[in-house]
Amino acid sequence: MIRDLLCMTAPVREGFDIPCHEIGPKSSHPAAALVAGLHGDEINGIFILSRLADFLNSVEAGKYPELRLVRRVLIIPAVNVLGVNLRTRTWPFDKTDINRMFPGSTTGETTQRIAYALLESTKRAEYRIDIHTASTDFEEIPQVRLHGPSDTERETARMFGLPAIMERSLSPVFTTTLMASWKVWPGESFVLRVGQAGIVQLDHCQRVFRSMVQFLGRVGVLEGVQIAAEDEEVCFFNKASAFRVLAEKAGTFVSDSHVGRWVRAGQELGYIYDSFGGKVIEKVVAPVAGLLTGIRRHPLLFEGDLILRVNRKS
Amino acid sequence: MRTETFFTIEMPYCERMETRRTIFSGGNGPRVAVVAGVHGDELEGLYVCHRLAAWLEEMLRSSPHGLRGSIELYPAVNTLGLDTLTRGLPVFDTDLNRAFPGSDSGPLPARLAAALMKALSGSALVVDIHASNIYLREIPQVRINQEFDDLLVPVARHMNLDLIWLHSAATVLETTVAHSLNSSGTPCLVVEMGVGMRITPEYCDQLVAGMLAVWKEMGVLAPDISVPEISHTPLIADDSNVHYLNAQTSGMFIPAASHWTDVHRGELLGTIVSPFRGDTLSEVRSPVDGILFSLREYPLVYEGSLMARVMSHKGVRA
Repeated sequence: MIRDLLCMTAPVREGFDIPCHEIGPKSSHPAAALVAGLHGDEINGIFILSRLADFLNSVEAGKYPELRLVRRVLIIPAVNVLGVNLRTRTWPFDKTDINRMFPGSTTGETTQRIAYALLESTKRAEYRIDIHTASTDFEEIPQVRLHGPSDTERETARMFGLPAIMERSLSPVFTTTLMASWKVWPGESFVLRVGQAGIVQLDHCQRVFRSMVQFLGRVGVLEGVQIAAEDEEVCFFNKASAFRVLAEKAGTFVSDSHVGRWVRAGQELGYIYDSFGGKVIEKVVAPVAGLLTGIRRHPLLFEGDLILRVNRKS
Repeated sequence: MRTETFFTIEMPYCERMETRRTIFSGGNGPRVAVVAGVHGDELEGLYVCHRLAAWLEEMLRSSPHGLRGSIELYPAVNTLGLDTLTRGLPVFDTDLNRAFPGSDSGPLPARLAAALMKALSGSALVVDIHASNIYLREIPQVRINQEFDDLLVPVARHMNLDLIWLHSAATVLETTVAHSLNSSGTPCLVVEMGVGMRITPEYCDQLVAGMLAVWKEMGVLAPDISVPEISHTPLIADDSNVHYLNAQTSGMFIPAASHWTDVHRGELLGTIVSPFRGDTLSEVRSPVDGILFSLREYPLVYEGSLMARVMSHKGVRA
């Protein structure tokens, strides 16, 4: 079933709404609430969730006789609807970040009203998942991000079967995010970070689609899922395991390295060129042996920009 | 008087970004600073810096010993944003005032924030001037986190402003320059006034007079130097007497009342209309007897857009 989470007016165009999918047996609240597109340019998550909605609707329609959706799933592929259409990360009218507007309110600014409606519809779910990407400049390995997690959340995070689980503390910067507002409620909350903004990365999307299906199978929302043997190890990384390489010099960065590869200490991963003179001014090498979990994709570097991150196995 | 670069960073193709300050040095008296242009669309503070520089240059010509301490002006912190009509930091798409205290390594926003913190820390008083945004016009006011009100309110009372707005700690953002400075022991007042992308000369001169008076009181200026008259006494606002008027429907907001005037409960403050039809979509009326201290400048509104703030009279003058 398709429902409108929120309907609002606009100054001169017709009103707008935020549609969502509600799939599976009726219930007072969804067992799983899946959200993407809080930022309008994070298309991987929008693509994954729209594909997942199509898949679960097909399950409901009986196209996969071995599968049965036994609990209700709420799917919101994109919260920042106008941002998606206008290709902007933030709310296009006043350029505010919707993910800095939580818990929101019914009487405040437009983005606060959007935040409130989103929180109300998702907060009672037992499993809440918010899918993001890195910026348009940077690519992240598909990963589970935990912010000040409970022990249960640490365990549950493994059920996605994604190659990396990254744990961070709850910084004051995040107090107005959806994740921070979810944490006030019983239930478990996860952020997935998948690739980079602005494009669909098919490999990453397919991988996360499979991991979402596995997750729904393992937590008992979708019955009949063949639980795959893990094709690779799930690594748990805290902040201390992250080794970042920052640009010592400005210039043009090029690399044919891929996230998700294990690298040796000192392995060459890319080059910085003098953007005017054309000479190589720096070889970028892995600072330690470990998993390449993120790499810069926009070539133009300011001094100090993050180029890549390698996580050492603990 | 000298203008110098206090932060520089290499850009991808040939250029360097440089951020500059102007320093007026006198004796060993207190050091004070003015910060403006953290947001690239807020220009009021830039003009305040110009007016201060003009006053100081003139004063030093006639009274070379009139300056007892030193005065630092940081008029254009978000250099690239100001030069390109962008509120945030271009390329990084970040609000610089959410990047404090920053760090010496890391990307531009963190480094610029850290450089500014280092430059300002230890000042006897920092004034961080903001100019609202392009949507709302604000009366000259200082906004103070209640965590620091003991120290800051007495100074703010003498700054020739119209309003002191006390914010409870829960509603304060911790990553601003002001919060970072106050938390680390450097007093910082946040002034909000005017409207984005515009200059309101009378507000700027009002603040200039207030800062000069405070600096004279602090001993930054010599006691025999005459400074402009103080003519404004601030009202006090807090969470209990500020009322927000958010749009009930989308459209064009047409004000019916003037900014910074007394209004009565039920009085019409404006209407929301549509360019497609002749009737009125929504009337905006004051919820209380009070004073209209914020008024929408940018006409188009969405449901929820803030159109005005009214402060009810508590009968309290600072």
